[in-house]
Amino acid sequence: MASTAAKSLRISQVGLRGVVGGGLTAAHVLDFASAFGTFLERGQGVVVGRDPRSSGVMIREGVVAALLACGRNVIDLGIAPTPVIQHTIRRLDAAGGISIGASHNAAEWNALKFFGRNAIYLSSAEANELLDIYHLKKFSFVEWDHLGKLRTEENSVDPYLDELAAVFDFEALKKFRVVVDCCSGTSSLILRRMNQRFGFSFILINEKMRGVAFAHEPATNKDMVALQLAPLMQPLGADAGFLFDADSDRVAFASEDGAPVSEEMVLPLLADFLLPRGEGKLVITNVSTTALVDEVVARHGGEVVRVAVGRQAAIDALSIYRPEQIALAGEGTGAIMMPQFRFVYDGIASMLALLSMMRERSLKLSEIVASYPKYSILKGQVPLVTHRIPALLASLREHYQDGRASVVDGLRVDWPGRWFHVRVSQTEPVVRIICEQRGNPPRELYDTLIELVRGFA
Amino acid sequence: MPRREHLLKIGVSGIRGVVGEFLTPALACSFAQAFGTYVGGGRVVLGRDTRASGEMLTHAVACGLLAAGCEVVEVGILPTPTIQMYVASTRAQGGIAVTASHNPPEYNALKLFNAQGLFFNNYERAELIDLYHQSDFRQATNEEMRRVICDHDAAPKLHFEKVLAHVDAERIRRRKFRVALDAVNGAGAVTTPGFLRDVLGCELEAIAVDPTKPFPREAEPKPETLGEIAELVRRCHRDIGFAQDPDGDRLAVIDETGFVLDNDDVLALAVDVALRRLPGDVVVNLTTSAVIDDVAAVHGRRVYRTPVGEANVVETMQAVNAVIGGEGSNGGIIFPAVHLCRDSYTGMAFLLDRMAETGEKISALAARLPKYYRRYGKVAYQHGRLGPLMQSLEARFPAAEMDRSDGLKLLLPEGWIHVRASNTEPLLRVAAEAKSEPEVEKLYGEVLRLFGE
Repeated sequence: MASTAAKSLRISQVGLRGVVGGGLTAAHVLDFASAFGTFLERGQGVVVGRDPRSSGVMIREGVVAALLACGRNVIDLGIAPTPVIQHTIRRLDAAGGISIGASHNAAEWNALKFFGRNAIYLSSAEANELLDIYHLKKFSFVEWDHLGKLRTEENSVDPYLDELAAVFDFEALKKFRVVVDCCSGTSSLILRRMNQRFGFSFILINEKMRGVAFAHEPATNKDMVALQLAPLMQPLGADAGFLFDADSDRVAFASEDGAPVSEEMVLPLLADFLLPRGEGKLVITNVSTTALVDEVVARHGGEVVRVAVGRQAAIDALSIYRPEQIALAGEGTGAIMMPQFRFVYDGIASMLALLSMMRERSLKLSEIVASYPKYSILKGQVPLVTHRIPALLASLREHYQDGRASVVDGLRVDWPGRWFHVRVSQTEPVVRIICEQRGNPPRELYDTLIELVRGFA
Repeated sequence: MPRREHLLKIGVSGIRGVVGEFLTPALACSFAQAFGTYVGGGRVVLGRDTRASGEMLTHAVACGLLAAGCEVVEVGILPTPTIQMYVASTRAQGGIAVTASHNPPEYNALKLFNAQGLFFNNYERAELIDLYHQSDFRQATNEEMRRVICDHDAAPKLHFEKVLAHVDAERIRRRKFRVALDAVNGAGAVTTPGFLRDVLGCELEAIAVDPTKPFPREAEPKPETLGEIAELVRRCHRDIGFAQDPDGDRLAVIDETGFVLDNDDVLALAVDVALRRLPGDVVVNLTTSAVIDDVAAVHGRRVYRTPVGEANVVETMQAVNAVIGGEGSNGGIIFPAVHLCRDSYTGMAFLLDRMAETGEKISALAARLPKYYRRYGKVAYQHGRLGPLMQSLEARFPAAEMDRSDGLKLLLPEGWIHVRASNTEPLLRVAAEAKSEPEVEKLYGEVLRLFGE
């Protein structure tokens, strides 16, 4: 156990992540937050918030100390959803912010996510600079009489909701009967307030925020929806069901008939809804995401830009285009950014967009889902032997010469109506294998691939 | 002279340094995590004085304590003795005060306390510093993580009750003393006005009682820095004036004429009060005046001498079960019946009670003490020259009785000389005392001449 925890630490462009105790320690937090305090341009302060994990209190104390020592004023939101933290950064014109929380990971994990001015995730160049400062450990601590000050901000949710209310028709949407699985996370803070302030009728389950044992792992995928949420749909007579991760930036859903819907569906549905509404025609996603996106986007005369898996690649792609060129960006994991919200992963906004779609089309959610061609996806993983990865990828490419190959991230090979993607995980020592086919599952392709990959394990 | 290296000190007395480049949040956090590991988790009390860096360091310390699996009870800005008593009264495993006591405002430090709210002994402190250097800390998992609890109100009440048990509060209140206070905008700014005005019924004229402002004078309450409060005492016709250091453990006293009493005499008055009340002996450090011996002799009590430093005095007080102790020149009164720590509040209450009991002015009480003359100073020395200097001093006074437990103390028929190396700078601290002014000048001058000043 100790050695597993010790190996959990990961320091990369997207920040700092690990199992608290053995892997992620107070010393890492102090140094990384000091590096961030050194890195940021001067500004109005730094916004800090956390998800309900017990270790978040320890990390918050360390982050606050490091930022104050760098002469930064700190605005502490306490327990707050990541989209709310990002909204507050913009609202207060802060120099940046830190979200403490491990999102969809289990409770023993924790992580720091960093945002710059305008709440934008750091670009690769900025993230590399931050990492360099962290590794050098030369921090700009200010003199004793120039230290920052800490203040707390009690209500950051209401201003965030004001912004959502300006984009979505709350009056119309509140008529829906919606069940939400909060997974013991921060989404309850927003949804309870929406019930109270706007008269929504969200039925919340696993609503109590927990520091230690989450009601279940806050993973936004079809299996979790099937297990936790879908069985409640018909008994409760709900129009839709949503499941959020601990910090509310990702979402998965179930339709009114109790069918769990693949997490891959969120992006194509929202693309279909948003493409006709704005001038942006580009949809940014990664090479592992369903080909249904291509089909939907083509219908609207749009274009799909496929980048490597992970938030960093999406952020870097976003920075290449003008904001008005982009319709949305997202992953098959249910993490979607919309230009209306200045490209912040926001599960709550994604949910409201899906509800708006139901209202506009006057269709049940199951009917909307059924209106798209069926794609079947198979996902698997095989333990990795690092030094054989290049040989594995070369061999696969050799084996599948008849398809169109992409090496943006590992190897993806496309045939009409069928593709696979093999890549190395960024978070675990495994090779991930994904295949998809229009229609029925590509079982044969999948089995062959697993066998080929195992040959290199 | 590379002054830089002296701006951070990590050793058996803990961690202390100039905040910014030297005392960083990461150092404070690691030290706190070592402390949390040493006390084995459980509840730890955390408070601070009013220094600008106190808030930042408190968060760093809380981070380290939580990471070690401790529950943190945050008591906010409070005097160090108040924090110590609170630790002892709750079921805490220990406490940390973020304060550099009488050091200048750019400094800060951590004072560490055990479950009884006392300094760790020398052996324990050595163990803790080893643990810090080994970095083998307890690392709490998410499940083992505890919370931060805030309790800002209970501690002062508890402290005052303990002090009141040893004075006749009613007779103090009846006198409605006219008192002046200079709390140096330190932790005392939060609690002392209430103590003097509401608890002891004094009519109070206070300066420097804003905990959000910087220290308006030197942090250490020495006569040469207390002009403003002395002037206030004279101008507003006060019966007595009190001046605290930033963490409220040290006390200086101004008589009704605006004269700053010698700290050794203040301790002597407190020793007299204590020995009138309870049977037992007295412990002071080597630099404290012989006036203490005279006062103790009147009560037929013995005086023990220790190396300089509160922890040393406290350790001996515990060993001999002393009734009172302190460090004269530092303005520290330690009365274990209240708590085994330096406490300005006990000092204030004792003096007011004695004034109420006798009906005498504070100047008259002080005038009744045997008169001694003292000189203090510092002499720079080069590394490697310390031994020969000390030997030349021994050779100069062959007939003197020697005490080598902390530098060198020479006991002579006409008085004494104490020379010790500073822990923090390449300086020798020189003190001399005699029955007359010419005698003390002669002794002091002799030391300076030997040391080539």
